[in-house]
Amino acid sequence: MKQVIVHPERCVGCMQCMLACAAAHSKTGSLFTAIAETPKPRPRIHVGAGLYDEGFPNRCRHCDPAPCQMACLPGAIYRHSRTNTVLIDPDVCINCASCAMACPYGVIRYHADPLAPAGKTVAVKCDNCVARQHRGQIPACVEICKVGALTFEERDRAMKRRTEEVARSATADAAPPEQAPGFSLLHTVKKARTEINLAR
Amino acid sequence: MKHVIIGNGVAGLTAAETIRRMDPDSELTLISDETFLPYCRPMISHLLEGAVPAEKLPIRGKNVYAQNRIEPVLGARATTLDVDRRVVTTADGKTHAYDRLLLACGADPRQIDAQGRDLENIFFMRTVQQVRQMLAVLPEVGHALVLGGGLVGFKAAYSLLRRGIAVTMLIRSGYPLSMQVDETAGRMIQAVLQANGLTVRTGASVEAFEGNGRVRMAHLSDGTRVSCDMAVIGKGVFPAHGFVPADRIHTDAGILVDDNMQTSVSGVYAAGDIAEHMDIARQRSWVNAIWPEAVSQGRVAGMNMAGEIVSYRGSLSRNVIRVFDTDVMTAGRVSPRDIDETCRQFSARDLRRNIYRKLVFSDNILVGFAMINDIEQGGALTALIQSRRPVEVEPERLMEPGFNIGRLMAR
Repeated sequence: MKQVIVHPERCVGCMQCMLACAAAHSKTGSLFTAIAETPKPRPRIHVGAGLYDEGFPNRCRHCDPAPCQMACLPGAIYRHSRTNTVLIDPDVCINCASCAMACPYGVIRYHADPLAPAGKTVAVKCDNCVARQHRGQIPACVEICKVGALTFEERDRAMKRRTEEVARSATADAAPPEQAPGFSLLHTVKKARTEINLAR
Repeated sequence: MKHVIIGNGVAGLTAAETIRRMDPDSELTLISDETFLPYCRPMISHLLEGAVPAEKLPIRGKNVYAQNRIEPVLGARATTLDVDRRVVTTADGKTHAYDRLLLACGADPRQIDAQGRDLENIFFMRTVQQVRQMLAVLPEVGHALVLGGGLVGFKAAYSLLRRGIAVTMLIRSGYPLSMQVDETAGRMIQAVLQANGLTVRTGASVEAFEGNGRVRMAHLSDGTRVSCDMAVIGKGVFPAHGFVPADRIHTDAGILVDDNMQTSVSGVYAAGDIAEHMDIARQRSWVNAIWPEAVSQGRVAGMNMAGEIVSYRGSLSRNVIRVFDTDVMTAGRVSPRDIDETCRQFSARDLRRNIYRKLVFSDNILVGFAMINDIEQGGALTALIQSRRPVEVEPERLMEPGFNIGRLMAR
């Protein structure tokens, strides 16, 4: 089963995933028409700034067991087993924020949503684009990401690649990392800028 | 193997489902004095408010007992427990033998000592039945008196205000939610409620209720009187372990359990509002009677009863409440009564956006926080408390508007 894997070290903070996510979860499904919709479609992936202003793409991990699901008072949170996705039923949600207290990643937001009953404030989070996946598409955030910070692949394959990277970097004749040098340069610049500002 | 569970709250039900999943062949009996289907207790205030109908309260379907092959024994409270003969007796005189027993009997509301306590329209708010009784009399209620500024009193007052009923809240301490928050947050919450019509009286308690059959007036300890046609008592709860042989099963405030949720008697377990285990933030034995801990304790107890040895990591007091347009989230040690000289406290307040943050550290370990508004990242802080991981980042960075867990990760 393919899953969205996040590689925060590659994120440049362009926030295109947020735009694509909001458009994918709008009524009309297109960015150009989505901006005129009420309620305004909002992203379910959140690019935050790290300690040195580096981009940090934060989205639901679809934990198993999911703390939000165990904390949900009305039982609105459930798992869609075919895509291993934790979903929130907007009809059942009572907007009590119990899931906000349970989510260790802080990825749940509370607002009116195009896909919820009109005018109702509900808990909203990543749904792995189950509707898009059903149509044979990949999640919108992965499709739009230009730098490979978000990939859609088998978790075992991603883990194996990571393990090999660590193993290679630990050998005596360690090969240079595959990552393009631009990423580390960008992060170094951002870090230096933050530290200079702090020193002032 | 014959399992008996006392209590059909979320701890008992979660344990029953866990046992059934892991051990399809065992016998399962569930004893409860409540006859309503297993329901979401924290939501009874939403029922009082009118935000959800009663049909939404059950957390499982109508056939939950049949589906899990549970034999329900409802409407009968457990009255005696014989741990040598391994038998529970219920109020109707029936006996139930067990091999493994789970005490998930929850807690009962604390009674108050006031004259005229037996008048009509004086309620506790603990069960769906009590809220239904309140709903039945609401049409004739113009002014309600709420005793206690804790979570129950607070939710009762909010729900009644939303119904358009005038509410007076009596608080013994100086501000509402004094067990959960510090004074600054308490005053902010009080201001919100007052702006929406709540009258708050501090430092006074009820000495006597007066009325002709129904309550009409309350006489307070400071000599004043408050007219009211309804009263809600929210003076806390205490674990319902009165029938448990205290000489055999060790109890403190609650029933003491080990990491496997087992009591001092082998084969007898406890979970939920009745159980007392290690508090992660306080690092001492504590009863944290909250929904999410009842779920995890029920799960761990069920696994151990089914023979799968797993440990519970300890509990953490925490709460989240939304009142009018204000959100309040707290966890761990924040109240002045939980703070000592070893604590380092940090706070930040944005008056324009009505945001408040308070962090409490013990050395460099986060042990408590309070947040007013913008609470989306509260879960990340809760997880940080639960991890007991030393925090390397400056505390101020955790209170900034743009805080996200990316800032806690070494890069």
